[in-house]
Amino acid sequence: MSDRKSYKKWFFLAVGAIAILYLVFFVIWFSRNPASNFVESVPGMDKPLPGVDNVQSENVKIGESFQRFSDETSGLKNTWNCFRGANHDNILKTDIHINEDWKTKKPKIAWSADMGEGYAAASVYAGFVYVLDYDEKLKADALRCLSLTTGKEIWRRWYKVRMKKNHGVSRTIPAVTDKYIVTLGPRCHVMCLDRPTGNLLWTLNLEKEFNTEAPFWYTGQCPLIDNDVAVIAPGGKSLMIGIDCKTGKQLWETPNKRNLKMSHSSIIPMTIEGKRMYVYGAIGGLAGISAEGDDAGKILWEFSSSAPSVVAPSAVYLNKGKILFTAGYGAGSAVIRIGKKNDTFEATLVQKLTPSTGIASEQQTPVFYNGLLYCILPKDAGALHNQFVCYNPDDCSKPVWSSGKTKRFGLGPYLVINDKFLILNDDGELTLIKASSTGYSQIAQVKIIDGQDAWGPMAFADGYLIIRDLKKMYGIDLR
Amino acid sequence: MDKKENKKNDSGSKKSMNRRDFIRLGFQAAAFVSIASVSGYLVKKSMDEDLVWQIDPYKCTQCGRCATSCVLNPSAVKCVHIYIMCGYCNLCSGYFVPNVKELNTGAENLLCPTKALKRSYIEKHYYKYDIDRELCIGCAKCVKGCSSFGNGSLHLQIIRDLCKKCNQCSIAKVCPSGAFKQISASKAYLLKSGWKG
Repeated sequence: MSDRKSYKKWFFLAVGAIAILYLVFFVIWFSRNPASNFVESVPGMDKPLPGVDNVQSENVKIGESFQRFSDETSGLKNTWNCFRGANHDNILKTDIHINEDWKTKKPKIAWSADMGEGYAAASVYAGFVYVLDYDEKLKADALRCLSLTTGKEIWRRWYKVRMKKNHGVSRTIPAVTDKYIVTLGPRCHVMCLDRPTGNLLWTLNLEKEFNTEAPFWYTGQCPLIDNDVAVIAPGGKSLMIGIDCKTGKQLWETPNKRNLKMSHSSIIPMTIEGKRMYVYGAIGGLAGISAEGDDAGKILWEFSSSAPSVVAPSAVYLNKGKILFTAGYGAGSAVIRIGKKNDTFEATLVQKLTPSTGIASEQQTPVFYNGLLYCILPKDAGALHNQFVCYNPDDCSKPVWSSGKTKRFGLGPYLVINDKFLILNDDGELTLIKASSTGYSQIAQVKIIDGQDAWGPMAFADGYLIIRDLKKMYGIDLR
Repeated sequence: MDKKENKKNDSGSKKSMNRRDFIRLGFQAAAFVSIASVSGYLVKKSMDEDLVWQIDPYKCTQCGRCATSCVLNPSAVKCVHIYIMCGYCNLCSGYFVPNVKELNTGAENLLCPTKALKRSYIEKHYYKYDIDRELCIGCAKCVKGCSSFGNGSLHLQIIRDLCKKCNQCSIAKVCPSGAFKQISASKAYLLKSGWKG
């Protein structure tokens, strides 16, 4: 009996000891912080040390120098006078015969001209090519006027500005009319010239005068001339400004209350509900600004539900008041509808898409042609990546057709000439396809240049297709 | 007399090459050839270079299996950075999550799950990106981002001093793109070539 009691006593003692031991372990374990050696990742861990930031402030004398190399004149008439051509849509109808049999007659490189590293592309006006190059030897932005037929430089106006390569330097396309040329340089320097003579009319330093923050990879916005008014979106203290090309006087200004920032996108004029407006995809959102009448410069509508951190493609007007706003780097697209309610414009989201669920573009602006949207999808678009894809704007998630997995393209430009798409691949391969609503139909393909990063938008006038790669511009005779 | 003796000796020697001698001689010759072959093979093998497994960065599809299929944990596969190809961009698609809203070091903005990819400020718009090898698990998320939108300067490699040199690499068995291949140990790495620009 006593043995049994003793056994019980020891049993309870053992259980109690184990329980106490467990309790001690539990308290130690519970009181210990398992994340004690974690390091928080919070904003600001990559900030410069005091005194490290060495941003150069320099006094840039915009348009300070001019050189004329020849007095060549031209009898040519055709133009491609700004980014995406006269109608801002990358579509051209022309009577000029374009050779499509590239097997027997390959498009001929009529000329080439060395360029500073970048993607700045050409405008063409009556036989002259205008390009805002960055001259790496002079360390200067240089507006160069070249002959459309020979590529010879006729004149240049330039100004010194120190730049470091940041995926190239130059990116913009001049806006050209019969009287004026307006340029926007990589560091937001604006220059307006008299086109026939190259004389300097006026200048603007957007960083200094509007507190513009130049986008990383430098300025990509191509300026616009609309009825002799230069239209520019500085960001900073003014979302958009209109300046008289003749006098340089600021005609109107759009306050930037929401602090939208300059993007790589360009201003596109559109007419919606009978109202002409400038549509600009800034960093922070899309906005429509009145382009006419007493309220020129007034914000008509804004859309900020889709606000990518970087925007390169410009807005595309579709139909029925709908606009496509797309961006790369995973952002995808938004289709929005602009409507009018009680004399007030409203922007409503129709469709939001990611690169893997619908249309998206990283650099080039999609083309809306004959009621359909055409686009090269980015690398993060799943199985359709890098394919040339056609969408119905009523549903931008379902491709009407795609070029297929054996026909992929890069970040290069594309445009429509006479119902045919011309697509330039990164490495200089040119492809001609039918602008078909039913399927991918390739007419011809040729490696036209031995290029790299041939991303600058193309221009076409008088039978010459102007293309460029990272370091050279080419005039291609397509006739 | 001498000639006769010589003839006798000759015929005697011919007689001595009987079947048993022939077989013995055959075995001796075979043994010699075998020893010579084995020695030659061993000499040749010792002169041959070792083969090691490595990833062809141009074939890699960043599927993420390198992080989970290696016999080591964390994997012997790590990200390497070819600085000459890097754009030193502020918006780095290998560093930030897609469609990032704020370009800062807040954890919600960063792509690397272990914070192995770090950046430091150089000057306005320019950042230097470095990989902390101790933290990298070879998940290839940064590589995918860099390949999709950047210059492709980040890519995966098997780190030689970590690799256990398995005869059959367990990641190679599951690699869907055939990016794993055996290369000379003297070469050891398959790094991307420099930027042409």
